[in-house]
Amino acid sequence: MKKTAIFYSFNTHKTAQVANKIKELWDGPIDEINVEKATDDQLKAYDNYILGVPTWFDGELPNYWDELVPAIEDMSFKGKTFAIFGNGDQKGYPENFGDGVGIMAELIEQQGGKVIGHTDIADYEFESSKAVKGDKFVGLLLDFENQARKTNSRIKEWVKQIANQMVS
Amino acid sequence: MTKTKKYSIKTTDKKTLEKWYKLMAVCRAIDEKAPNYLKQAIGWSYHAPYAGHDGIQLAIGQVFEKGKDHLFPYYRDMLTAHSAGMTAEELILNGISKDTDPSSGGRHMSNHFAKPEWNIHNVSSCTGNHTQHASGTGRAMKYYKGEGVVISSQGESSVSEGYVYEAINGASNEKLPVIFVFQDNGYGISVPKEDQTANRKVANNFTGFKNLKIIHCNGKDVFDSMNAMTEAKEWAKENSMPVIVHANCVRIHSHSNSDRHELYRDENERNYVKDYDPIAKYKRMLLRYKRFTEKELAKFDEEAKKIVKDAHKKALAAPDPKPESIFDYVIPEPYKASKYPEGTHNFDGPSKKLIEGLNETLKAEFRANPDTFIYGQDMANKDKGGIFNVSKGMQQEFGKERVFNGPIAEDYITGTANGMSRFNDKIRVVVEGAEFADYFWPAMEQLVDSSHDYWRSNGKFVPNMTIRLASGGYIGGGLYHSQNIEGALATLPGIRIVYPSYADDAAGLLRTSMRSRGITVFMEPKALYNDPIAATPIPDDYEVPFGKGKVRREGSDLTLVTYGNTTHMSIKAANKLQEEMGLSTEVIDLRSLLPLDSDLIIESVKKTGKILVVHEDKVFNGFGAEIAAQVSDIAFEYLDGPVMRVGSTFTPVGFNRILEKAVLPNEDRIFEGLKKLAEY
Repeated sequence: MKKTAIFYSFNTHKTAQVANKIKELWDGPIDEINVEKATDDQLKAYDNYILGVPTWFDGELPNYWDELVPAIEDMSFKGKTFAIFGNGDQKGYPENFGDGVGIMAELIEQQGGKVIGHTDIADYEFESSKAVKGDKFVGLLLDFENQARKTNSRIKEWVKQIANQMVS
Repeated sequence: MTKTKKYSIKTTDKKTLEKWYKLMAVCRAIDEKAPNYLKQAIGWSYHAPYAGHDGIQLAIGQVFEKGKDHLFPYYRDMLTAHSAGMTAEELILNGISKDTDPSSGGRHMSNHFAKPEWNIHNVSSCTGNHTQHASGTGRAMKYYKGEGVVISSQGESSVSEGYVYEAINGASNEKLPVIFVFQDNGYGISVPKEDQTANRKVANNFTGFKNLKIIHCNGKDVFDSMNAMTEAKEWAKENSMPVIVHANCVRIHSHSNSDRHELYRDENERNYVKDYDPIAKYKRMLLRYKRFTEKELAKFDEEAKKIVKDAHKKALAAPDPKPESIFDYVIPEPYKASKYPEGTHNFDGPSKKLIEGLNETLKAEFRANPDTFIYGQDMANKDKGGIFNVSKGMQQEFGKERVFNGPIAEDYITGTANGMSRFNDKIRVVVEGAEFADYFWPAMEQLVDSSHDYWRSNGKFVPNMTIRLASGGYIGGGLYHSQNIEGALATLPGIRIVYPSYADDAAGLLRTSMRSRGITVFMEPKALYNDPIAATPIPDDYEVPFGKGKVRREGSDLTLVTYGNTTHMSIKAANKLQEEMGLSTEVIDLRSLLPLDSDLIIESVKKTGKILVVHEDKVFNGFGAEIAAQVSDIAFEYLDGPVMRVGSTFTPVGFNRILEKAVLPNEDRIFEGLKKLAEY
């Protein structure tokens, strides 16, 4: 049985809310890791990862993820599958909408991991985003500020999509 | 995140990590302690906390190489200064404005850290205007093939200032090795950055500039900032081109101690930025990646505390500045005219026009001194040499590196002249400050700021520049080709103003200006450039000292004090009075307004008992008001009549010749003034 975990900061509000929703919808065992206290061993221990990566300031990783980057850069994620979600504000920060998701996806792929759960950009309005690859986002982008009503349906659809793609 | 990864938590050696930690810990302790000095009424009444900018400030200071680079920190750059080598004691000396404060001896506002002897420059509170100085220093660095780079630092909001765009445009156009660091904390005091410019990252406004690299980094992160600054410096040096480093920071506290950020930032936001405290992040990383133990860091913290405590004690015991020192370093002693100490001569050669006197003196000084430069608008394009051809032939003789065109940006012209002087005190810069004096107003902020430099740096730096301005009317030029601006400029301590009327004085004063340290505003009465009335013989090496007026016509019944265009009209009017009323008028040509030859005026008044002050500028608040006031103060008992004045009406100068004539003084009006005074 492949092991799956969801990593996010337990001190967040919106990201934690999304993580809880994903857990509710997840069909099967899933560990929950507070990324602020994540060890290298935990980061390496799974086959499937769901990462909660909001964007801070003008397009940065939150400090708790940023501080893990040097550790991740020494890890091999070959054979592992990742799905990334994150919150952003497409009106307030249109130049960096969901950059955190894109930065994390690039890092994961650089370390040999497979990033799944790409979503359509059509329903969003923004200027630029590091999360865009071709005509897709490299993860699930949620916007509590401007499209809160779409959040639940987007999560539902995404969980269905990644569950199918993640090796069980 | 920058792509370069020279520095990382895993690969940087422990000694360096320790040094950085201690610099950050010491400086943060001072940053946190600073408000207490104010509470205890010791000083530091202006404190702009840097907490949240730690990564980029550490990095700026670390890449700065003393003896090679030039650094222009802004008022929030405490850690930049400390990281560049200024000690904790020096920071506190500045904070509490002591006499031994290396930045300014207590003269400049607190939290403006500098050490001019290391080329950590003392800059204005006029935020961002040092970018122009940085470009000027970069120009000199390039010309003299310096080994370093110039680093300018500022907040992101001050990039809104037009002069910052001028500075970066100039650096891009001239390909200057200048790194412009924008420390972006999201606010200009309380004004959020979305109210400043459309791009959230203001550096992106410059993406269309050629020869310019833009690097974004996380200014809260030590490693990303170190990598960004290292990459910027290597690129600027290698390519001799400018770089912008846009560092994303947070402002953890209020803008300064006179600001309360609770009024415009909610608790969530204040907590959000606190969560990204750079020093806390650095500490966590040192522990997480096992570079140091808790115990080792605690030991460093103790050492930092001790450093701050010792520095505090020493700084408190340091002497305060003495009140009588206020007159020190207002303006440096000028070049001492040795051959013509009175600024007079009996040379009997052929007469030369005023424009020839200027041109030949410029060339002679350029031949004698290889560290002279001249530039401005319309300065040099084939046979065109200056708007009035004053500098004709200079580029052909001295080359494009010493004689060149400036952009239509008067502030940049003046600001970069200041900056060039910062590279080396031997440099002498002459600028045509504007096409006409009327267009000099955009440069006023640089002139005002430059006028402070010598005093503000406690005598450690003075810009050596001669600002030539074609002034005055009588050419049918209208509102923007006729202005006299000396009355406004004469309110500034720290500059000299000269205004010759004759070719020999123009040549002699220009030579003295170009050989002197400090700023001389050189007013050229453009109506006289080619007028035979102003032509005189000029000895080859003629010198006129500052502050020496000249009696152009001796007399015993009335005194007439004047300068510039009206000198010639005044002499004619005085002759007419002699002819018609048999009264002799002593006509004094001031030549210099700052310094003013008050003694010559007063001595004449003592002799005549009556004085008429004449100038082309407006009577109301013109420079003559100062002369009248001085005469009233010092020589009241010698006066046999009121101090009278003749000048322009309190109106702009009209373009139609009829209007111009109605505004500007002329021989008839001066004669009427003399007659009225004589009859009093």
